[in-house]
Amino acid sequence: MDRELLRHCLAYHGESLFNKLKCEQTENPDFQAVVSDLCKATYESGGEGHGNPLVEQFIARKADILFCPTWKTATHQEEEHEEEEDAAEPYAIMPPLELFMEVSYDERRAMLYRDLERGDIVVGRINNIREYGFFLTLLCTAGGLKRDIEDLELSALCHIREIPSTGSHDDPLSYYQIGDFIRAAVKDIDRYQEKITISLQQASLSPSLEHIKLGVLPREELPIHYGRSVRAAADSSETYRCILKSCHGYHNPSVVEYLLEKVGVSDTHPPSMMRGLQSKLFQAEDFASAIRKKQSSSWALKCVRAGVDHFKHGRYVEAMNEYNKALDIDTNNVEALVARGALYANKGSIMKAITDFELALESCPDHRNAKKYLCQTLVERGKQLEEQEKLVTAEGLYRRALSLDDLNPEAQEALHKITDTIQKSIRLREEALAKEQVKATSSQTSAEKLRKILKEEKRMKKKRKRSASSSPSSSTSSRRNSSSSSSSSSSRRRSKKKKKKRRRSERGSKRHRRISSRESRRSEGKSEKDRKEEEEEEEEEVEWYPAPPNTTGTFLNQKGGPGFGERDEEEEEVEEKNSEEKRITQLYSLSAASDDEESDSSRRERKRRDRAEGGTKRSKGSQSRSPERRSKSRERKDKSRERGKGDNRKDRRDSDSKRRSSLEENRKRRVSCSSAESEYSRKSSLKSEYLGNSGSASKHVESRMRHDSSKRNSFDGGRYENIEEAGREKDRKGKVEEERRRSDGGNSKRLEGVGNHNKQSGLTSMPGERAKKDLPTNLLDIFNQIAQFEKEKGVRPK
Amino acid sequence: MEGPSSRLPATTQDGPLWLAGRTDSGRDAESDPARDIKTQFRVCRFIMETGVKLGMRSVPVATACVLYHRFFERVNMRAYEPYLVAMSCVYLAGKVEEQHVRTRDIINVSHRYFNSSSAPLECDKEFWDLRDSVVQCELLILRQLNFHVSFEHPHKYLLHYLLSVKSLVNRHAWSRTPVAETSWALLRDCYHGVMCIRHIPQHIAIATLYLALNSYGVEMPVGEREWWQVLCEDVTKADIEAVISDLLQLYDMEAKCI
Repeated sequence: MDRELLRHCLAYHGESLFNKLKCEQTENPDFQAVVSDLCKATYESGGEGHGNPLVEQFIARKADILFCPTWKTATHQEEEHEEEEDAAEPYAIMPPLELFMEVSYDERRAMLYRDLERGDIVVGRINNIREYGFFLTLLCTAGGLKRDIEDLELSALCHIREIPSTGSHDDPLSYYQIGDFIRAAVKDIDRYQEKITISLQQASLSPSLEHIKLGVLPREELPIHYGRSVRAAADSSETYRCILKSCHGYHNPSVVEYLLEKVGVSDTHPPSMMRGLQSKLFQAEDFASAIRKKQSSSWALKCVRAGVDHFKHGRYVEAMNEYNKALDIDTNNVEALVARGALYANKGSIMKAITDFELALESCPDHRNAKKYLCQTLVERGKQLEEQEKLVTAEGLYRRALSLDDLNPEAQEALHKITDTIQKSIRLREEALAKEQVKATSSQTSAEKLRKILKEEKRMKKKRKRSASSSPSSSTSSRRNSSSSSSSSSSRRRSKKKKKKRRRSERGSKRHRRISSRESRRSEGKSEKDRKEEEEEEEEEVEWYPAPPNTTGTFLNQKGGPGFGERDEEEEEVEEKNSEEKRITQLYSLSAASDDEESDSSRRERKRRDRAEGGTKRSKGSQSRSPERRSKSRERKDKSRERGKGDNRKDRRDSDSKRRSSLEENRKRRVSCSSAESEYSRKSSLKSEYLGNSGSASKHVESRMRHDSSKRNSFDGGRYENIEEAGREKDRKGKVEEERRRSDGGNSKRLEGVGNHNKQSGLTSMPGERAKKDLPTNLLDIFNQIAQFEKEKGVRPK
Repeated sequence: MEGPSSRLPATTQDGPLWLAGRTDSGRDAESDPARDIKTQFRVCRFIMETGVKLGMRSVPVATACVLYHRFFERVNMRAYEPYLVAMSCVYLAGKVEEQHVRTRDIINVSHRYFNSSSAPLECDKEFWDLRDSVVQCELLILRQLNFHVSFEHPHKYLLHYLLSVKSLVNRHAWSRTPVAETSWALLRDCYHGVMCIRHIPQHIAIATLYLALNSYGVEMPVGEREWWQVLCEDVTKADIEAVISDLLQLYDMEAKCI
């Protein structure tokens, strides 16, 4: 028994109830447990006995129900969302009752101070604004509590701290004017001094009201009950009843269900004070649904029996009708399903039979007949499939049959047979496949290669023409293309292949390829030479990484350099993060930043020129090159990103294999032309792939790598290469760091130069290379070696 | 009116034996009004229980009870099988209140009510006869009531009153006190007797709320007028007391009847 509740009741009703309770509840141990306790309370309060002995009798008799803790079903679900559902008022929102009751001013005021709590919502009008806040004359309450408070002359202070500021420099109070309606949360109530402080901070609302927006309220959005109470107060003919009937919500056909839920009373297990209707007396099997289920299955069984009878006498149509009837009555009736399945199987509809048996086993997994029949039918079906040469499916069916009944000799035998056949055929097929593949790869590659070269050539020509006529900036791009095409024409198979891929696929895949190739190379034993090569390779890679911000060279725009570099990196990051919708804005921002870029590139150019090989041509147009290049490369990137998703994997895969094949060659070449400069030329294609479509980005591998790996992981869906790669990337990052440190120590200029150079290399690179291309290959190699040597020494040719 | 009234008892007689057998005790009794009231109480209890087992909401059950009471207001208790009428009332109430209940379920639940823990009915003649009687009886009820089958119930009022009264009470005191449950239970229990059609819905709603508040000793603020006066202008203290005393009688009856 709820002692507290009982005590309260006794205090109200007085001694007479207590005596009756003692009479009526003598057998209730719960009551006996609390009786002595209650005794005191009753006499203390000396309740005056509110009369009606019948009511007291009733309370006494039903006390065990009334004060039972489980009687209260409503969970304390705080003042729900209600309100603000104005248009679709689901029930009649009534003005506060005390308005009609004409409760005295003092009592109402006392009640409000008693019941108002922190986090409640009040609505009021601003009557005074001071520098420390404003004062609100309260009009009504909102949220859960509904009270008539308009004439109570309640004033509440909203301190300036409690007003969320919209702009940092503005005085928040300037948004509010005298006369504004404000919805605010109660921050504090001083019940003794009768002071209320309020807040406009959302956080000060109680959690159940959090969704209600605080602040200025247009007149139309004042609470409904307030509007109605104003009307009721003005017109005495507006009684509670009238208002109730005039409300839309009152006529809502489902108002009872809605409100029951609101007050928390269950209508499916309704409460009752009648002893015989206590919900604990209702048993689950007496409910309609339970009986119906039972009945249906028994009716269905009857039909099945009739059907089986028909079946035995060969009246298949009648049998089928009975089975179907049974299933109409009781869908998923196991017996009916099994019987119908058997009939189907008999009539040759094996698939239908299997479906039926499966359904039956679903609801009754241990049904012996169902298992047996399904097993047989599966074998049957398997044989059919075997005839149709669908061996694998058939094998699956046999296996399933065996899983149902592992001793079924038929299934066992069939399975043995079919596995043999399958293995044989697999072997045959493999051989055939291997042959085919060999043929396919060889033919395809050469044909495609040719096509590629032709295409490349064509494009190059076009571009050149265009660049000649247009601004120097466009010439960059053409040069880029021409350079790449020239590199492709330089009889280097590998780069050609890669290039073609580059056009189609996104940078991510390229990097994959690059890495995998690297890996394979690595795995080919580590002789001294190899290791050196590897180191070299690593260095190469490192070279593409962003120049650390503090590695300043003696370049012309030395001051700007590092800063720009940093900024570039940021930009890149932004670019990476942002999706394609934002492309345009980025374009703007990037083109705005093109000045930096320009200086960057010019610096690079200068350096290049200083180098041994024909940098003279290159420096042309370098000033204005970058913006154009940037945007172009981005376009490309976007496109390739779109496309690449699909192609990516495939590309990578076949490129992997090709890579491996061309590996030998690569290595040799690498050894021979190990100078940095030639690396560039070679790498111009390779690296640009590796770094992705945008040559400009090479500086920012680091930032990109992060994004890349995550991105790729997301669409490649956990391919193991990715994981591997991610780890690798981390490695590489580490190396970059290392390299950076080293370069700080003295080689910084070179590194940056290299970085800068490489940054461009993929796309803009190598106008000089074209020149180089004209030279014989071994000469080139020699040049490269020289350059490499110089680099090693850290001496820069002036 | 002659047709159905003469035909229907016949169908029930030769139809469901369990139903006929059940009513024999009431049938051969003398025309004792007290007995009638008890029968009524039992049948209403039957409707209530059936309603719960059928998953009906409170309002359709209330409608079924009102249909039943109104029907026997017009016809002699002895002329018809009350349980069959009750089943039809449940069926009809389901239609009226848009919560359709299937005859089969009604029959099943009723069958089990009288033959507890028995197997469900077979799908045979008895079942179909019973089903026919229920449907026939439904038509009879409709005609007897002149197709006035939708009633205003106190439920709506009670719920609105509950919300209004709740606002007057301190929220913590309210959440401790199961006034809503109690008043809802009281309201449902009202339908055990004819009182549900003797009193105005608003009065019933106010009285049940009053009794619930009173039972827990919830004190309401007092103004110029009492809270219940405001809810319905024409209600008097006497009205409320009348409803309450009728209701309390029903609780006494339970001890006597069941």
